[in-house]
Amino acid sequence: MKKMFFVVVALCLLSQHLQAQTRKIEFDEYKLPNGLTVILHRDKTAPVVAIGVLYHVGSKNELPGRTGFAHFFEHLMFEGSDNIKRGEFMKYVSNAGGTNNANTTQDRTYYYEVLPANQLQLGLWLESERMMHSKIEQVGVNTQREVVKEEKRTRIDNQPYGSIIGEIFKRAFKVHPYKYQPIGSMDDLNAAKLDEFIQFYKTFYVPNNAVLSIAGDIDIPETKKLINDYFGPIPKGTLPIPRPNVTEPPLGGEVRDVVEDNIQLPAVIEAYRAPKQGTKEYYAFNVLSTILSGGNSAQLNKILVDQKQLAVATGAFNYALEDASLFIIYSIANAGIKPTILENNMDSIVNAMKSGLVSEHEFQKVKNQINTQFVTRNATMQGIAESLANYQVYFGDADLINTEIKKLDEVTREDVLAVAQKYLVKNNRVILYYVPKGTKSQYIKK
Amino acid sequence: MKRFILPFLLLAPIAIWAQETINRAVPPPPGPAKIIEIGKTEKFTLNNGLEVIVVRNTKLPRISVSLTVNRDPILEGNKAGLTSMAGQLLRSGTTTMDKASLDDAIDFLGGNIYASATSIGGASLSSNFKKLFAIIADIVFHPSFSNTQLEKIKKQELSGLAQSKDDPNSIAGNVVSKLLYGANHPYGEIETDSTVKNVSVEDIKTYFSTYWKPNISYLVFVGDITKEEAKELAEKYFGKWQRADVPKPQYPVPSNPAKPIIAIVDRPVSVQSVINFVQTENLKPGEPDVIPVRVMNDILGGGSSSRLFMNLREKHGFTYGAYSAVNPDKLIGSFNAEASVRNEKTDSAIGEFLKEFALIRTTPVSETEVSLAKNTLSGAFARSLENPATVANFALNEAIYHLPADYYQNYLKNIAAVNAGTVMEMAQKYIQPQHMYTVIVGNAKQIVNGLDKYGTVQYYDVEGNAIAAPVIKQIDASITGKSVIEKAAAAMGEAALTNIKDLEISGTAGAMGQTLQFDQKYLLPDYFEQTLSIQGMLLQKQLTKEGTYSVTAQGQEQPLKDDDKEELSESAAMLPEAFYLSKNGYSFTVKDVEPVDGNDAYAVEIKSPRGRVFTNYYDVKTGLKVKSVVEKDAGPAGKLEVQTYYQDYKSYNGLMVPMKTIVDQGKLKIELDVKDVKTNQGLKPTDFK
Repeated sequence: MKKMFFVVVALCLLSQHLQAQTRKIEFDEYKLPNGLTVILHRDKTAPVVAIGVLYHVGSKNELPGRTGFAHFFEHLMFEGSDNIKRGEFMKYVSNAGGTNNANTTQDRTYYYEVLPANQLQLGLWLESERMMHSKIEQVGVNTQREVVKEEKRTRIDNQPYGSIIGEIFKRAFKVHPYKYQPIGSMDDLNAAKLDEFIQFYKTFYVPNNAVLSIAGDIDIPETKKLINDYFGPIPKGTLPIPRPNVTEPPLGGEVRDVVEDNIQLPAVIEAYRAPKQGTKEYYAFNVLSTILSGGNSAQLNKILVDQKQLAVATGAFNYALEDASLFIIYSIANAGIKPTILENNMDSIVNAMKSGLVSEHEFQKVKNQINTQFVTRNATMQGIAESLANYQVYFGDADLINTEIKKLDEVTREDVLAVAQKYLVKNNRVILYYVPKGTKSQYIKK
Repeated sequence: MKRFILPFLLLAPIAIWAQETINRAVPPPPGPAKIIEIGKTEKFTLNNGLEVIVVRNTKLPRISVSLTVNRDPILEGNKAGLTSMAGQLLRSGTTTMDKASLDDAIDFLGGNIYASATSIGGASLSSNFKKLFAIIADIVFHPSFSNTQLEKIKKQELSGLAQSKDDPNSIAGNVVSKLLYGANHPYGEIETDSTVKNVSVEDIKTYFSTYWKPNISYLVFVGDITKEEAKELAEKYFGKWQRADVPKPQYPVPSNPAKPIIAIVDRPVSVQSVINFVQTENLKPGEPDVIPVRVMNDILGGGSSSRLFMNLREKHGFTYGAYSAVNPDKLIGSFNAEASVRNEKTDSAIGEFLKEFALIRTTPVSETEVSLAKNTLSGAFARSLENPATVANFALNEAIYHLPADYYQNYLKNIAAVNAGTVMEMAQKYIQPQHMYTVIVGNAKQIVNGLDKYGTVQYYDVEGNAIAAPVIKQIDASITGKSVIEKAAAAMGEAALTNIKDLEISGTAGAMGQTLQFDQKYLLPDYFEQTLSIQGMLLQKQLTKEGTYSVTAQGQEQPLKDDDKEELSESAAMLPEAFYLSKNGYSFTVKDVEPVDGNDAYAVEIKSPRGRVFTNYYDVKTGLKVKSVVEKDAGPAGKLEVQTYYQDYKSYNGLMVPMKTIVDQGKLKIELDVKDVKTNQGLKPTDFK
C-alpha cells in the first residue's frame, strides 16, 4: 500500500518537476576600465539594497610563515580610511538603519552592507573608500590582533568540537596551503611587520581582483553612474597576484588520530579527499551528501540517531573549495557509545553507498530536496549578491545562479555509485576521534 | 609609509576631476526615503472559528504554512516539561506512518514540517504543497503518540537537564523565574528530573485534546498561494475540526519586591558572576509605550553601541558583553539587564549598572543617541520586510494581541515621534532600581562583601528556594596548619605504620562509561608502583624505588621534571601527611573552614620544599583528609583545577584507606572504587620493576 503511494507521488513529482520553473535572476554584468567586475540585480519587492564586494584572496594566497593574513585583513578593513575615522565605519551603517559584515574563506574574502534602498550611495562610498585607501596603521594592527585572538578563543579554542575542521585539514593536505585554516597562526600575525600588511593590501585589494555585486531596489543607469564616480578613480593593481600552483600528491594511506577537547561526548570524523568544486564529480558528491544527510530520513540520521540511537547528531557535507574538496562525515556519540562502534556503523553506511545503486525512490527523494533548495535559496538580496559574486569569481559565470541546477539534475545514480567507489576508500581518508580531555590514552590503537 | 603615499600622488588629478560629481571627504546624504509598504494580507474565518491569514508573495514558487494555537499559558505542576516534549511527540508518527515513514514522506516532497506544543507548520515548493499540507493535517488529527517515542524524547530531555545543572546561566534563569513569578505561576515553574519522568503519553493526549481547538487557532499561509487556494485547503483539512471551549485560567499578578533584593546563588566553582537585574513590567504587546520603551532600551543596553556595553566592556573591561531588554507580554512583561563579570569586579559592576539606570532616569539623553537608536530600529524594521513571513507575523500579532489594524503601518511614524523627553519618561516608568531583584550566580564567599549596600542580601538554592546564608566559620587561634596535619596523620593511622611493611590496593576506575583497572603497591621505605590498565592492556605505570622515578604511558617513557619527582615521592608514601611531617621544608597554613560534602573541613595550604603549592581539606571532627585541590598546567587551555575527594574510609591494620576517590577535572570526572586492600603480603623489592 505504502509503496503504491510513493510510486504515484514519484510520477506526479516527475511530471511537475519539469514545470517547476525557477524564477530567473536577471542581472547586468560589466567591467570598469580599472578591471573591477560589476554585477547588478534589480528587485523592487522590498526597499532594501545589498552591496557586496568580493576580493579573490583567501588563506590559500598567504605566504608561508604569514598565515592568518587574509582573515586578519577582514578585520583591518573596518579600521577606517582617508575619509573615514577609526571606529566610524560601522556607525555609518547602523546610523543609516543598515547592517554589515564580512567573512573569509580559504579562497576569497567578502564584505557587504544591507541598507535601506535610499542609502545606496553611502554603501558605495564605504566600499570604495575601503578599496581605494584603507588606513593600514600600527594602531589598527595592534587592536585587531587582540580582537582576532579573542575571536580564535571564542570560536575555536573555547568551542566544543570547534577545532575539528583545522585538525582535519592539517592532516588531509601536506603541500597545498589548504593545510592552514583562515584563522591562521597568532605567532605569524605577531611576527608580521606593518610593511607586509601594506604590501598585502596593494597586491590583493585592487579592483582587478574584485567583484562588486549589488542586489535590490535600485535604478540601474543611476547606479552605474554612481559606481563610475566612486570606483572609477581607483587605480588598477600593478603587482602580480600570486595564486598557489601546487599539485597535492595522493594521501597515500589512511591517516588516523585521536584529539582531546573540552567535550562530554566523543565524536568520529571521516574526511575523504574529493574533487574540486565545479567538476562533474563534485555535483555527484553534492547528491551523495544529500542521500547521507539531507533531512530526517537521510541514511545517517535514520540509522545512527533514530534506529540505533548510537549518535546524538550526525551529518555529511562536501567542504568544496577552488582547488580541492574534502567530503566529511561526522557523528557525535550518544552517552556510553564507544567511538569504535560509531566508526563501524558509519563505515557500513558508507559501504552500502559503494556496493550498489540507491533505490529509485530514494534517489528521486534527494533530487526533490535539491530542487527545492535550489529554487528557494535566493530569498534575500544579500544572498543573491553573494551568490552572483561567488559564481563569477569561481567559474567566471554568474549565470550559474540560474543554471547550476541542470548540472545537479544530470547526476545519475550510476554517477553517485562511481564517486563513492572511487573516493570513499580508506587510503584516501583522514579519520579522527574527538575525545574528552584526559581520555586519549584509551583510544590509541597499538 | 612612503611607498604607500606614492599612488595617491599619481591619483590626484583624477580625484580632483571626480570631485565635480562626488565629494569623498564627506559621507553622501541619503536619497529621498522610499515609501515602506507593508505587503497585503487577506483574512477569513471558517465556521468552526479557525482564523486564516494569507500573505501572497510570488517571488519564489514556495509556500509555507503555520498553525498557531493561541491558548493561555498553563501550569504544568508536577509534570513541568510536558509542553516542551509534547510537540516533539506530535511530530513522531501518525496512526498510518511511523516516524521513519513520516520523515521519508516529508523529505520526498522536498519539504519540512516542525511542531511544538502550540504550533505546527512547514514549507515546500508550491507544486508539492497540497501533499505537504495533507501530511500536516494527518499529524494534527491522527498522531500515533507512541510510548516508545516518548521514552526516547524523555531521555534527551533528561540529558539536557543534566547538562544545565552545571550551567550558571541556566541556574540564573531558574532562579529569576521563581523569584519574579513564584512557583504557582506558569512562568515560574521549573522542570526537574522527577517532573519530566512524571509525564505520560496520556498526559500529552489530554493536553492536545483540551487545548488544540479551532476557535483559538490561526492558520497562516505565506508565499505562492491565492486566497481561494488557501480557503479550499483550509476547509478540506481543517473545516471539520470541532470547536470547543478551552480553559482560560486566571493567575495572580506577581508583584515586585518593595525594596531591592540581592539574591545570591552560591556556586563555589565560579570564576565569573552571572548578574541579572530583573523586575516584572505591566506592559502588554501593542500598548503605546512599547515603541518608545524600545528606543529607550536601545540607548541603555540594546546592543554593542549602547551605554551598558560601552561602560562595562569598552570602558571598564569587566565583561565580554552587557545588555538590557524590556519584554512586553500578554500576561505580565519583564525587564532584564545582564552581564557575566569576573569575580572580583562583581561589586563594581553592580555599581556601574545602577549608575546607568539612575543616569537614564534623571538626565536627558543626547540628540545623537536618540537618533542613532531610532535609525537602528527603523532600519531593522524596514529590512525585516524583505522576508514575506514578517508581514504574516504582523497580521498574526494584530489578531492575537488585538492590535489596531494600522499598528505596523504607523510603526515608523511612532518611532520617529520619540524624543529625549519620552525616553526619560519611559526610563522612569519602566526602570525602577528600588523594586528590582539582582540575581547573582557566583562564588558567594569571594563576592559577597559589600553587596549589602545595594539591598537586602538573601541566598537561594539552584531551584530558587530561599536558604540560610552560608556560615562563614571562624578558625580557633589554637589551630595551626601543622596541628591539623598532625591530627590528620594520627587519625589516618600513623601509629600503625610501624606494623605495616607493605600495602597493596586494587580496584576499578570509571570515566566516560569506560572501566579501567588500577593497582597500587607500597613497600617501606620508598618502593611504590601504580598501574592503570584496560582489559589487561597496560595504559600507564608509575614506579618509584631507591630514589629513581619513572612514568610510562602506552609504553613510552615520559620525561620527568624535578617537581614531578617530588610529587612522586609524596605518592610513594603510604601516609603522605606523615611524610610531610618527617621531611624538612614542608610548610602548612590554615586558610579557611568550609564544608566538604556537608561537613566542615580545614583547608590547609601545603607548600613543598620545591615550592609546589596545593590545598588539602581535613575534616574538623574526624581529622581525615576529605579533599585536595591542585592547579595543573593544561597547555593552551590555561590552568586546570583538579579536585580530588576521598570518601568512605576503612581501617586496615589501623591504616585508614578511602574506599572511594573521585578525581574531578571539570569536564572529566574519574571515580576510583577500591575493591581489595592487602597488608603485609611479603612484597619484595624485586616485585617493583
